[in-house]
Amino acid sequence: MSTRRILKAVLIDLSGTLHIDDTAVSGAQEALQKLRSSPVAVKFVTNTTKECKRALFERLHKLSFDIHEDEIFTSLTAARNLVEQKQVRPLLLVDNSALEDFEGVDTTDPNAVVVGLAPEHFNYDTLNKAFRLILDGAPLIAIHKARYYKKVDGLSLGPGPFITGLEYATDVKATVVGKPEKSFFLEALRSIGCQPEEAVMIGDDVRDDVGGAQSAGMLGILVKTGKYRLGDEGKTNPAPYLMCDAFSQAVDHILYNML
Amino acid sequence: MAEWCEPVGRVKGVLLDICGVLYESGDGGGVPIVGSVEAVKRLKEANLKVRFCTNETQATREKFVKKLQNLGFDITVDEVFSPAPAVCQVLKERGLRPHLLVHDGLRPEFDQIDQSNPNCVVVGDAAEYFTYKNMNEAFQILMGLEKPILISLGRGRYYKETDGMKLDVGAYMKALEYACDIEAEVVGKPAAMFFLSALSDMGLEPDQVVMIGDDIVYDVGGAQQCGMKAVQVRTGKYRPCDEQHPTVKADGCVNNLAQAVTILLEHLH
Repeated sequence: MSTRRILKAVLIDLSGTLHIDDTAVSGAQEALQKLRSSPVAVKFVTNTTKECKRALFERLHKLSFDIHEDEIFTSLTAARNLVEQKQVRPLLLVDNSALEDFEGVDTTDPNAVVVGLAPEHFNYDTLNKAFRLILDGAPLIAIHKARYYKKVDGLSLGPGPFITGLEYATDVKATVVGKPEKSFFLEALRSIGCQPEEAVMIGDDVRDDVGGAQSAGMLGILVKTGKYRLGDEGKTNPAPYLMCDAFSQAVDHILYNML
Repeated sequence: MAEWCEPVGRVKGVLLDICGVLYESGDGGGVPIVGSVEAVKRLKEANLKVRFCTNETQATREKFVKKLQNLGFDITVDEVFSPAPAVCQVLKERGLRPHLLVHDGLRPEFDQIDQSNPNCVVVGDAAEYFTYKNMNEAFQILMGLEKPILISLGRGRYYKETDGMKLDVGAYMKALEYACDIEAEVVGKPAAMFFLSALSDMGLEPDQVVMIGDDIVYDVGGAQQCGMKAVQVRTGKYRPCDEQHPTVKADGCVNNLAQAVTILLEHLH
Protein backbone atom coordinates (compact mmCIF):
# COMPACT_ATOMS: atom_id res chain seq x y z
CA MET A 1 0.00 0.00 0.00
CA SER A 2 1.43 3.40 -0.97
CA THR A 3 2.27 5.82 1.79
CA ARG A 4 -0.68 7.95 2.58
CA ARG A 5 -0.72 11.39 4.07
CA ILE A 6 -2.40 12.15 7.38
CA LEU A 7 -6.15 11.65 7.39
CA LYS A 8 -7.78 15.06 7.28
CA ALA A 9 -11.38 14.38 6.21
CA VAL A 10 -14.15 11.81 6.36
CA LEU A 11 -16.96 11.85 3.78
CA ILE A 12 -20.12 10.12 4.97
CA ASP A 13 -23.04 8.91 2.87
CA LEU A 14 -26.47 9.55 4.34
CA SER A 15 -29.26 7.18 3.27
CA GLY A 16 -28.33 3.59 4.09
CA THR A 17 -25.26 4.59 6.10
CA LEU A 18 -26.43 6.94 8.87
CA HIS A 19 -30.14 6.25 8.56
CA ILE A 20 -32.68 4.16 6.69
CA ASP A 21 -35.71 6.28 5.92
CA ASP A 22 -36.76 7.71 9.28
CA THR A 23 -34.76 5.34 11.47
CA ALA A 24 -31.17 5.94 12.54
CA VAL A 25 -28.68 3.09 12.04
CA SER A 26 -27.97 1.65 15.48
CA GLY A 27 -25.20 3.52 17.32
CA ALA A 28 -24.63 5.97 14.50
CA GLN A 29 -25.33 9.14 16.49
CA GLU A 30 -22.79 8.24 19.18
CA ALA A 31 -20.24 7.22 16.59
CA LEU A 32 -20.58 10.58 14.87
CA GLN A 33 -20.02 12.33 18.22
CA LYS A 34 -16.84 10.30 18.76
CA LEU A 35 -15.62 11.19 15.28
CA ARG A 36 -16.17 14.87 15.97
CA SER A 37 -13.88 14.69 19.00
CA SER A 38 -11.02 13.92 16.61
CA PRO A 39 -9.27 16.48 14.39
CA VAL A 40 -10.81 15.32 11.08
CA ALA A 41 -13.24 17.43 9.05
CA VAL A 42 -16.57 15.81 8.30
CA LYS A 43 -18.79 16.17 5.21
CA PHE A 44 -22.07 14.43 4.44
CA VAL A 45 -22.48 13.52 0.78
CA THR A 46 -25.55 12.33 -1.08
CA ASN A 47 -26.98 11.94 -4.58
CA THR A 48 -30.44 13.22 -3.83
CA THR A 49 -32.21 15.26 -6.48
CA LYS A 50 -35.52 15.66 -4.71
CA GLU A 51 -34.64 16.99 -1.31
CA CYS A 52 -32.99 20.31 -0.70
CA LYS A 53 -30.25 20.59 1.93
CA ARG A 54 -32.61 22.02 4.52
CA ALA A 55 -34.96 19.03 4.27
CA LEU A 56 -32.07 16.60 4.65
CA PHE A 57 -30.72 18.53 7.60
CA GLU A 58 -34.12 18.56 9.33
CA ARG A 59 -34.52 14.84 8.97
CA LEU A 60 -31.09 14.11 10.45
CA HIS A 61 -31.57 16.66 13.20
CA LYS A 62 -34.82 14.94 14.18
CA LEU A 63 -32.88 11.69 14.49
CA SER A 64 -30.51 13.39 16.95
CA PHE A 65 -27.51 13.56 14.65
CA ASP A 66 -25.04 16.32 15.48
CA ILE A 67 -24.89 17.88 12.04
CA HIS A 68 -24.70 21.34 10.45
CA GLU A 69 -26.49 22.27 7.25
CA ASP A 70 -23.32 23.57 5.61
CA GLU A 71 -21.64 20.18 6.13
CA ILE A 72 -24.08 18.64 3.67
CA PHE A 73 -22.87 18.34 0.06
CA THR A 74 -25.38 16.98 -2.43
CA SER A 75 -25.40 16.36 -6.15
CA LEU A 76 -27.65 19.42 -6.32
CA THR A 77 -24.89 21.45 -4.62
CA ALA A 78 -22.42 20.07 -7.14
CA ALA A 79 -24.70 21.14 -9.99
CA ARG A 80 -25.11 24.61 -8.55
CA ASN A 81 -21.34 24.97 -8.10
CA LEU A 82 -20.77 23.98 -11.72
CA VAL A 83 -23.39 26.46 -12.93
CA GLU A 84 -21.68 29.22 -10.96
CA GLN A 85 -18.22 28.19 -12.15
CA LYS A 86 -19.35 28.24 -15.78
CA GLN A 87 -21.30 31.46 -15.17
CA VAL A 88 -24.36 30.18 -17.01
CA ARG A 89 -28.10 30.70 -16.54
CA PRO A 90 -29.77 27.29 -16.29
CA LEU A 91 -33.10 25.93 -17.42
CA LEU A 92 -33.79 23.84 -14.31
CA LEU A 93 -35.49 20.52 -14.97
CA VAL A 94 -35.51 19.63 -11.27
CA ASP A 95 -38.15 18.76 -8.72
CA ASN A 96 -39.87 21.77 -7.12
CA SER A 97 -38.62 20.70 -3.71
CA ALA A 98 -35.04 20.96 -4.97
CA LEU A 99 -35.37 24.49 -6.35
CA GLU A 100 -34.49 25.93 -2.95
CA ASP A 101 -30.88 24.82 -3.48
CA PHE A 102 -30.70 27.02 -6.58
CA GLU A 103 -32.00 30.12 -4.90
CA GLY A 104 -30.11 33.16 -6.06
CA VAL A 105 -29.13 31.58 -9.36
CA ASP A 106 -30.20 33.64 -12.37
CA THR A 107 -32.53 31.53 -14.50
CA THR A 108 -33.74 34.20 -16.93
CA ASP A 109 -32.99 33.73 -20.64
CA PRO A 110 -31.34 30.34 -19.99
CA ASN A 111 -28.13 29.28 -21.74
CA ALA A 112 -27.60 25.97 -19.93
CA VAL A 113 -29.72 22.95 -19.03
CA VAL A 114 -29.69 21.14 -15.66
CA VAL A 115 -31.55 17.83 -15.44
CA GLY A 116 -32.45 15.98 -12.25
CA LEU A 117 -35.22 13.56 -11.33
CA ALA A 118 -38.24 15.59 -12.43
CA PRO A 119 -41.06 13.56 -14.02
CA GLU A 120 -43.26 16.64 -14.24
CA HIS A 121 -40.71 18.22 -16.59
CA PHE A 122 -40.14 15.15 -18.76
CA ASN A 123 -42.93 16.08 -21.18
CA TYR A 124 -42.58 16.79 -24.88
CA ASP A 125 -42.78 20.59 -24.62
CA THR A 126 -40.22 21.01 -21.86
CA LEU A 127 -37.81 18.50 -23.34
CA ASN A 128 -38.06 20.29 -26.69
CA LYS A 129 -37.22 23.55 -24.94
CA ALA A 130 -34.15 21.92 -23.39
CA PHE A 131 -33.25 20.30 -26.72
CA ARG A 132 -33.28 23.61 -28.61
CA LEU A 133 -31.08 25.29 -26.01
CA ILE A 134 -28.52 22.51 -26.21
CA LEU A 135 -28.62 22.53 -30.01
CA ASP A 136 -27.78 26.22 -29.79
CA GLY A 137 -24.72 25.50 -27.65
CA ALA A 138 -26.04 25.34 -24.08
CA PRO A 139 -24.14 22.86 -21.85
CA LEU A 140 -26.13 19.89 -20.53
CA ILE A 141 -25.56 19.20 -16.83
CA ALA A 142 -26.94 15.96 -15.41
CA ILE A 143 -27.37 15.59 -11.67
CA HIS A 144 -27.11 11.86 -12.21
CA LYS A 145 -28.08 9.33 -14.87
CA ALA A 146 -30.07 6.74 -12.94
CA ARG A 147 -32.02 4.48 -15.31
CA TYR A 148 -34.98 4.08 -13.00
CA TYR A 149 -35.96 4.18 -9.36
CA LYS A 150 -38.20 2.07 -7.19
CA LYS A 151 -41.63 3.30 -6.26
CA VAL A 152 -44.34 1.60 -4.24
CA ASP A 153 -46.14 0.52 -7.41
CA GLY A 154 -43.10 -0.58 -9.40
CA LEU A 155 -40.17 0.84 -11.36
CA SER A 156 -40.27 4.36 -12.74
CA LEU A 157 -38.05 6.04 -15.34
CA GLY A 158 -35.20 8.07 -13.84
CA PRO A 159 -33.49 11.06 -15.44
CA GLY A 160 -30.90 8.89 -17.24
CA PRO A 161 -33.10 7.84 -20.19
CA PHE A 162 -34.20 11.42 -20.95
CA ILE A 163 -30.65 12.73 -20.66
CA THR A 164 -29.53 9.98 -23.04
CA GLY A 165 -32.25 11.01 -25.50
CA LEU A 166 -31.10 14.65 -25.38
CA GLU A 167 -27.48 13.57 -25.83
CA TYR A 168 -28.44 11.54 -28.91
CA ALA A 169 -30.58 14.27 -30.45
CA THR A 170 -27.96 16.99 -29.98
CA ASP A 171 -24.78 14.92 -30.27
CA VAL A 172 -23.63 16.55 -27.04
CA LYS A 173 -22.35 14.71 -23.96
CA ALA A 174 -23.84 15.61 -20.59
CA THR A 175 -21.57 16.55 -17.70
CA VAL A 176 -22.68 14.29 -14.85
CA VAL A 177 -22.09 15.83 -11.42
CA GLY A 178 -23.35 13.27 -8.90
CA LYS A 179 -21.75 10.14 -7.42
CA PRO A 180 -19.86 8.16 -8.63
CA GLU A 181 -18.27 10.92 -10.76
CA LYS A 182 -14.74 11.83 -9.66
CA SER A 183 -15.68 15.50 -9.88
CA PHE A 184 -18.32 15.06 -7.17
CA PHE A 185 -15.82 13.83 -4.61
CA LEU A 186 -13.15 16.33 -5.60
CA GLU A 187 -15.68 19.15 -5.33
CA ALA A 188 -16.78 17.95 -1.86
CA LEU A 189 -13.14 17.87 -0.72
CA ARG A 190 -12.34 21.25 -2.32
CA SER A 191 -14.67 22.91 0.16
CA ILE A 192 -12.65 21.40 3.03
CA GLY A 193 -9.36 22.15 1.33
CA CYS A 194 -7.86 18.68 1.37
CA GLN A 195 -6.56 16.18 -1.18
CA PRO A 196 -8.23 12.82 -1.94
CA GLU A 197 -5.21 11.02 -0.44
CA GLU A 198 -6.04 12.69 2.85
CA ALA A 199 -9.65 11.50 2.92
CA VAL A 200 -11.78 8.42 3.43
CA MET A 201 -15.40 7.75 2.31
CA ILE A 202 -17.93 5.67 4.28
CA GLY A 203 -20.97 4.37 2.37
CA ASP A 204 -23.31 1.46 1.63
CA ASP A 205 -23.25 1.64 -2.18
CA VAL A 206 -20.27 -0.26 -3.53
CA ARG A 207 -20.31 1.52 -6.90
CA ASP A 208 -21.54 5.04 -6.17
CA ASP A 209 -19.85 5.48 -2.75
CA VAL A 210 -16.80 3.22 -2.51
CA GLY A 211 -15.99 2.73 -6.21
CA GLY A 212 -16.41 6.40 -6.99
CA ALA A 213 -14.39 7.60 -4.00
CA GLN A 214 -11.54 5.21 -4.62
CA SER A 215 -11.22 6.14 -8.27
CA ALA A 216 -10.95 9.74 -7.10
CA GLY A 217 -7.96 8.75 -4.95
CA MET A 218 -9.66 8.30 -1.60
CA LEU A 219 -9.96 5.16 0.52
CA GLY A 220 -13.43 3.61 0.69
CA ILE A 221 -15.09 1.85 3.63
CA LEU A 222 -18.12 -0.24 2.66
CA VAL A 223 -20.74 -0.66 5.39
CA LYS A 224 -23.10 -3.62 5.35
CA THR A 225 -26.26 -1.62 5.99
CA GLY A 226 -28.76 -0.02 3.62
CA LYS A 227 -28.49 -1.24 0.05
CA TYR A 228 -25.46 -3.46 0.69
CA ARG A 229 -25.93 -7.02 -0.64
CA LEU A 230 -23.71 -10.03 0.07
CA GLY A 231 -20.96 -10.12 -2.52
CA ASP A 232 -21.02 -6.40 -3.31
CA GLU A 233 -17.40 -6.15 -2.23
CA GLY A 234 -16.41 -8.12 -5.30
CA LYS A 235 -18.04 -5.65 -7.65
CA THR A 236 -15.49 -2.89 -7.50
CA ASN A 237 -11.85 -2.84 -8.54
CA PRO A 238 -9.83 -2.23 -6.47
CA ALA A 239 -11.80 -3.85 -3.65
CA PRO A 240 -12.96 -1.63 -0.79
CA TYR A 241 -10.17 -0.62 1.58
CA LEU A 242 -12.29 -1.99 4.43
CA MET A 243 -15.62 -3.73 5.09
CA CYS A 244 -17.55 -2.89 8.27
CA ASP A 245 -20.80 -4.08 9.72
CA ALA A 246 -22.02 -0.52 10.17
CA PHE A 247 -21.06 3.12 10.61
CA SER A 248 -19.92 2.82 14.26
CA GLN A 249 -17.40 0.10 13.40
CA ALA A 250 -16.08 2.26 10.56
CA VAL A 251 -15.59 5.18 12.96
CA ASP A 252 -13.81 2.95 15.48
CA HIS A 253 -11.42 1.77 12.77
CA ILE A 254 -10.65 5.35 11.75
CA LEU A 255 -10.07 6.50 15.33
CA TYR A 256 -7.82 3.57 16.26
CA ASN A 257 -6.03 2.86 12.98
CA MET A 258 -5.94 5.89 10.76
CA LEU A 259 -5.06 8.87 12.94
CA MET B 1 -21.44 20.27 -59.77
CA ALA B 2 -23.94 17.71 -61.01
CA GLU B 3 -22.00 14.43 -61.06
CA TRP B 4 -25.01 12.88 -59.42
CA CYS B 5 -26.87 13.18 -62.73
CA GLU B 6 -24.10 11.49 -64.70
CA PRO B 7 -23.94 9.70 -66.96
CA VAL B 8 -26.68 11.43 -68.92
CA GLY B 9 -29.79 9.29 -69.16
CA ARG B 10 -28.81 7.11 -66.19
CA VAL B 11 -31.39 8.47 -63.81
CA LYS B 12 -34.82 6.92 -64.36
CA GLY B 13 -36.42 7.47 -60.99
CA VAL B 14 -36.40 9.78 -57.99
CA LEU B 15 -37.03 8.99 -54.34
CA LEU B 16 -38.19 12.01 -52.38
CA ASP B 17 -38.23 12.60 -48.66
CA ILE B 18 -41.34 14.54 -47.67
CA CYS B 19 -40.85 16.61 -44.46
CA GLY B 20 -38.23 19.24 -45.12
CA VAL B 21 -38.24 18.63 -48.86
CA LEU B 22 -41.84 18.97 -50.01
CA TYR B 23 -43.19 20.88 -47.04
CA GLU B 24 -42.60 21.91 -43.46
CA SER B 25 -45.00 20.41 -40.92
CA GLY B 26 -46.60 22.47 -38.21
CA ASP B 27 -49.81 23.88 -36.83
CA GLY B 28 -52.57 24.18 -39.36
CA GLY B 29 -51.19 21.37 -41.49
CA GLY B 30 -47.92 22.89 -42.53
CA VAL B 31 -46.55 24.96 -45.37
CA PRO B 32 -45.17 23.85 -48.78
CA ILE B 33 -41.54 24.69 -49.39
CA VAL B 34 -41.19 27.25 -52.18
CA GLY B 35 -41.11 25.60 -55.59
CA SER B 36 -41.73 22.07 -54.36
CA VAL B 37 -45.27 21.63 -55.72
CA GLU B 38 -44.06 22.62 -59.18
CA ALA B 39 -40.94 20.48 -58.83
CA VAL B 40 -42.93 17.28 -58.28
CA LYS B 41 -45.11 18.10 -61.32
CA ARG B 42 -42.00 18.69 -63.45
CA LEU B 43 -40.52 15.34 -62.43
CA LYS B 44 -43.65 13.46 -63.41
CA GLU B 45 -43.99 15.39 -66.68
CA ALA B 46 -40.44 14.33 -67.55
CA ASN B 47 -41.58 10.71 -67.26
CA LEU B 48 -39.36 9.95 -64.34
CA LYS B 49 -40.68 7.43 -61.80
CA VAL B 50 -41.40 9.18 -58.50
CA ARG B 51 -41.83 7.65 -55.06
CA PHE B 52 -41.94 9.27 -51.64
CA CYS B 53 -39.98 7.82 -48.76
CA THR B 54 -41.01 9.22 -45.42
CA ASN B 55 -40.57 8.42 -41.74
CA GLU B 56 -43.67 10.43 -40.94
CA THR B 57 -45.63 8.62 -38.24
CA GLN B 58 -48.04 11.14 -36.77
CA ALA B 59 -50.89 10.17 -39.10
CA THR B 60 -52.11 7.38 -41.36
CA ARG B 61 -50.84 7.43 -44.94
CA GLU B 62 -54.33 8.29 -46.19
CA LYS B 63 -54.69 11.34 -43.96
CA PHE B 64 -51.12 12.42 -44.58
CA VAL B 65 -51.44 12.20 -48.37
CA LYS B 66 -54.78 14.03 -48.27
CA LYS B 67 -53.07 16.85 -46.38
CA LEU B 68 -50.34 17.08 -49.01
CA GLN B 69 -52.88 16.98 -51.85
CA ASN B 70 -54.69 19.88 -50.18
CA LEU B 71 -51.41 21.78 -50.27
CA GLY B 72 -51.35 21.24 -54.04
CA PHE B 73 -49.03 18.24 -54.33
CA ASP B 74 -49.48 15.62 -57.06
CA ILE B 75 -49.14 12.58 -54.81
CA THR B 76 -51.09 9.36 -54.15
CA VAL B 77 -51.05 6.82 -51.33
CA ASP B 78 -49.53 4.15 -53.59
CA GLU B 79 -46.49 6.32 -54.18
CA VAL B 80 -45.76 6.76 -50.47
CA PHE B 81 -43.53 4.47 -48.43
CA SER B 82 -43.86 4.96 -44.71
CA PRO B 83 -42.90 2.85 -41.69
CA ALA B 84 -46.33 1.92 -40.33
CA PRO B 85 -47.39 -0.45 -43.12
CA ALA B 86 -43.86 -1.84 -43.16
CA VAL B 87 -43.90 -2.58 -39.43
CA CYS B 88 -47.36 -4.19 -39.64
CA GLN B 89 -45.83 -6.63 -42.11
CA VAL B 90 -42.99 -7.37 -39.68
CA LEU B 91 -45.38 -7.83 -36.74
CA LYS B 92 -47.52 -10.28 -38.68
CA GLU B 93 -44.53 -12.27 -39.92
CA ARG B 94 -43.08 -12.64 -36.45
CA GLY B 95 -46.29 -13.13 -34.47
CA LEU B 96 -45.68 -9.98 -32.47
CA ARG B 97 -48.44 -8.21 -30.54
CA PRO B 98 -47.41 -4.59 -29.95
CA HIS B 99 -47.95 -2.10 -27.19
CA LEU B 100 -48.11 1.12 -29.22
CA LEU B 101 -46.24 4.22 -28.08
CA VAL B 102 -47.36 6.26 -31.08
CA HIS B 103 -49.28 9.37 -32.02
CA ASP B 104 -53.04 8.84 -31.75
CA GLY B 105 -53.32 9.73 -35.43
CA LEU B 106 -51.29 6.67 -36.39
CA ARG B 107 -53.33 4.08 -34.50
CA PRO B 108 -55.75 3.29 -37.35
CA GLU B 109 -52.78 1.84 -39.30
CA PHE B 110 -52.74 -0.93 -36.67
CA ASP B 111 -56.47 -1.74 -36.73
CA GLN B 112 -55.81 -5.20 -38.16
CA ILE B 113 -53.09 -5.98 -35.62
CA ASP B 114 -53.71 -7.99 -32.46
CA GLN B 115 -52.66 -5.72 -29.58
CA SER B 116 -53.80 -7.91 -26.70
CA ASN B 117 -51.26 -9.18 -24.19
CA PRO B 118 -48.37 -7.29 -25.84
CA ASN B 119 -45.02 -9.00 -26.34
CA CYS B 120 -43.22 -6.01 -27.82
CA VAL B 121 -43.30 -2.21 -27.92
CA VAL B 122 -43.54 -0.18 -31.12
CA VAL B 123 -42.45 3.44 -30.80
CA GLY B 124 -43.17 6.10 -33.41
CA ASP B 125 -43.11 9.90 -33.50
CA ALA B 126 -45.68 10.29 -30.76
CA ALA B 127 -44.91 14.02 -30.27
CA GLU B 128 -47.17 15.37 -27.52
CA TYR B 129 -48.16 11.78 -26.67
CA PHE B 130 -44.60 11.29 -25.34
CA THR B 131 -45.82 12.06 -21.85
CA TYR B 132 -43.88 10.73 -18.84
CA LYS B 133 -46.84 8.47 -18.11
CA ASN B 134 -46.87 6.96 -21.60
CA MET B 135 -43.09 6.51 -21.65
CA ASN B 136 -43.26 4.85 -18.23
CA GLU B 137 -45.99 2.49 -19.38
CA ALA B 138 -43.91 1.35 -22.36
CA PHE B 139 -40.86 1.01 -20.10
CA GLN B 140 -42.71 -1.13 -17.55
CA ILE B 141 -44.06 -3.40 -20.29
CA LEU B 142 -40.57 -3.93 -21.71
CA MET B 143 -39.13 -4.64 -18.25
CA GLY B 144 -41.87 -7.21 -17.69
CA LEU B 145 -41.04 -9.19 -20.83
CA GLU B 146 -38.66 -12.10 -20.69
CA LYS B 147 -37.44 -11.12 -24.13
CA PRO B 148 -37.97 -7.36 -24.46
CA ILE B 149 -38.42 -6.28 -28.09
CA LEU B 150 -38.46 -2.60 -29.00
CA ILE B 151 -39.23 -1.65 -32.60
CA SER B 152 -38.68 1.96 -33.58
CA LEU B 153 -40.30 3.59 -36.60
CA GLY B 154 -37.21 5.40 -37.79
CA ARG B 155 -34.43 6.73 -35.57
CA GLY B 156 -34.28 10.39 -36.57
CA ARG B 157 -32.80 12.80 -34.05
CA TYR B 158 -34.97 15.83 -34.82
CA TYR B 159 -36.94 17.54 -37.57
CA LYS B 160 -38.01 21.07 -38.39
CA GLU B 161 -41.54 22.30 -37.99
CA THR B 162 -42.82 25.77 -38.72
CA ASP B 163 -42.27 26.81 -35.10
CA GLY B 164 -38.80 25.33 -34.67
CA MET B 165 -36.82 22.11 -34.28
CA LYS B 166 -38.50 19.20 -32.51
CA LEU B 167 -37.21 15.97 -30.98
CA ASP B 168 -37.82 12.98 -33.24
CA VAL B 169 -38.55 9.35 -32.39
CA GLY B 170 -34.82 8.50 -32.19
CA ALA B 171 -34.38 10.43 -28.95
CA TYR B 172 -37.18 8.48 -27.30
CA MET B 173 -35.95 5.22 -28.77
CA LYS B 174 -32.56 5.90 -27.17
CA ALA B 175 -34.24 6.75 -23.86
CA LEU B 176 -36.00 3.37 -23.74
CA GLU B 177 -32.86 1.56 -24.93
CA TYR B 178 -30.90 3.09 -22.04
CA ALA B 179 -33.63 2.50 -19.48
CA CYS B 180 -34.02 -1.19 -20.35
CA ASP B 181 -30.45 -1.83 -21.46
CA ILE B 182 -31.62 -3.20 -24.84
CA GLU B 183 -31.17 -2.34 -28.51
CA ALA B 184 -34.10 -1.34 -30.68
CA GLU B 185 -34.82 -2.64 -34.18
CA VAL B 186 -35.48 0.10 -36.72
CA VAL B 187 -38.19 -0.03 -39.40
CA GLY B 188 -38.19 2.86 -41.86
CA LYS B 189 -35.28 5.05 -43.01
CA PRO B 190 -32.38 4.35 -42.89
CA ALA B 191 -33.03 0.59 -42.90
CA ALA B 192 -31.94 -0.76 -46.27
CA MET B 193 -35.06 -2.89 -46.53
CA PHE B 194 -37.14 0.27 -46.54
CA PHE B 195 -35.34 1.93 -49.46
CA LEU B 196 -35.16 -1.31 -51.40
CA SER B 197 -38.92 -1.88 -51.18
CA ALA B 198 -39.46 1.50 -52.85
CA LEU B 199 -36.90 0.67 -55.56
CA SER B 200 -38.52 -2.70 -56.16
CA ASP B 201 -41.89 -1.00 -56.53
CA MET B 202 -40.38 1.30 -59.18
CA GLY B 203 -38.77 -1.68 -60.91
CA LEU B 204 -35.42 0.13 -60.94
CA GLU B 205 -31.88 -0.61 -59.80
CA PRO B 206 -30.26 1.58 -57.12
CA ASP B 207 -27.92 3.20 -59.65
CA GLN B 208 -30.92 4.37 -61.68
CA VAL B 209 -32.45 6.29 -58.80
CA VAL B 210 -31.54 9.49 -56.96
CA MET B 211 -32.67 10.16 -53.39
CA ILE B 212 -33.36 13.75 -52.34
CA GLY B 213 -33.63 14.49 -48.61
CA ASP B 214 -32.85 16.95 -45.81
CA ASP B 215 -31.36 14.51 -43.30
CA ILE B 216 -27.66 13.99 -44.07
CA VAL B 217 -27.43 10.70 -42.17
CA TYR B 218 -30.76 8.99 -42.54
CA ASP B 219 -31.85 10.21 -46.00
CA VAL B 220 -28.53 10.78 -47.80
CA GLY B 221 -26.32 8.30 -45.92
CA GLY B 222 -29.02 5.65 -45.80
CA ALA B 223 -29.71 5.88 -49.54
CA GLN B 224 -25.99 5.83 -50.42
CA GLN B 225 -25.59 2.64 -48.39
CA CYS B 226 -28.11 1.05 -50.77
CA GLY B 227 -26.15 2.07 -53.83
CA MET B 228 -28.12 5.18 -54.78
CA LYS B 229 -26.75 8.64 -55.38
CA ALA B 230 -28.20 11.07 -52.85
CA VAL B 231 -28.58 14.82 -52.70
CA GLN B 232 -29.12 17.01 -49.66
CA VAL B 233 -31.40 20.06 -49.77
CA ARG B 234 -30.74 23.11 -47.65
CA THR B 235 -34.31 23.22 -46.37
CA GLY B 236 -36.00 21.48 -43.45
CA LYS B 237 -33.65 20.20 -40.79
CA TYR B 238 -30.53 21.04 -42.83
CA ARG B 239 -27.77 22.79 -40.86
CA PRO B 240 -24.56 24.20 -42.42
CA CYS B 241 -22.43 21.76 -40.38
CA ASP B 242 -24.08 18.92 -42.36
CA GLU B 243 -21.81 19.82 -45.29
CA GLN B 244 -18.80 18.91 -43.14
CA HIS B 245 -20.28 15.71 -41.77
CA PRO B 246 -17.50 13.37 -40.59
CA THR B 247 -18.84 10.24 -42.28
CA VAL B 248 -21.41 11.16 -44.92
CA LYS B 249 -20.64 13.20 -48.03
CA ALA B 250 -23.72 13.97 -50.13
CA ASP B 251 -23.35 13.50 -53.89
CA GLY B 252 -24.80 16.97 -54.27
CA CYS B 253 -26.01 19.82 -52.10
CA VAL B 254 -28.69 22.13 -53.45
CA ASN B 255 -30.80 24.94 -52.08
CA ASN B 256 -34.11 23.13 -52.39
CA LEU B 257 -36.07 20.52 -54.32
CA ALA B 258 -36.86 22.97 -57.13
CA GLN B 259 -33.16 23.53 -57.79
CA ALA B 260 -32.43 19.80 -57.63
CA VAL B 261 -35.11 19.12 -60.22
CA THR B 262 -33.90 21.91 -62.52
CA ILE B 263 -30.37 20.48 -62.49
CA LEU B 264 -31.62 16.93 -62.99
CA LEU B 265 -33.88 17.80 -65.92
CA GLU B 266 -31.06 19.72 -67.60
CA HIS B 267 -28.99 16.55 -67.59
CA LEU B 268 -31.65 14.13 -68.70
CA HIS B 269 -31.02 14.15 -72.41
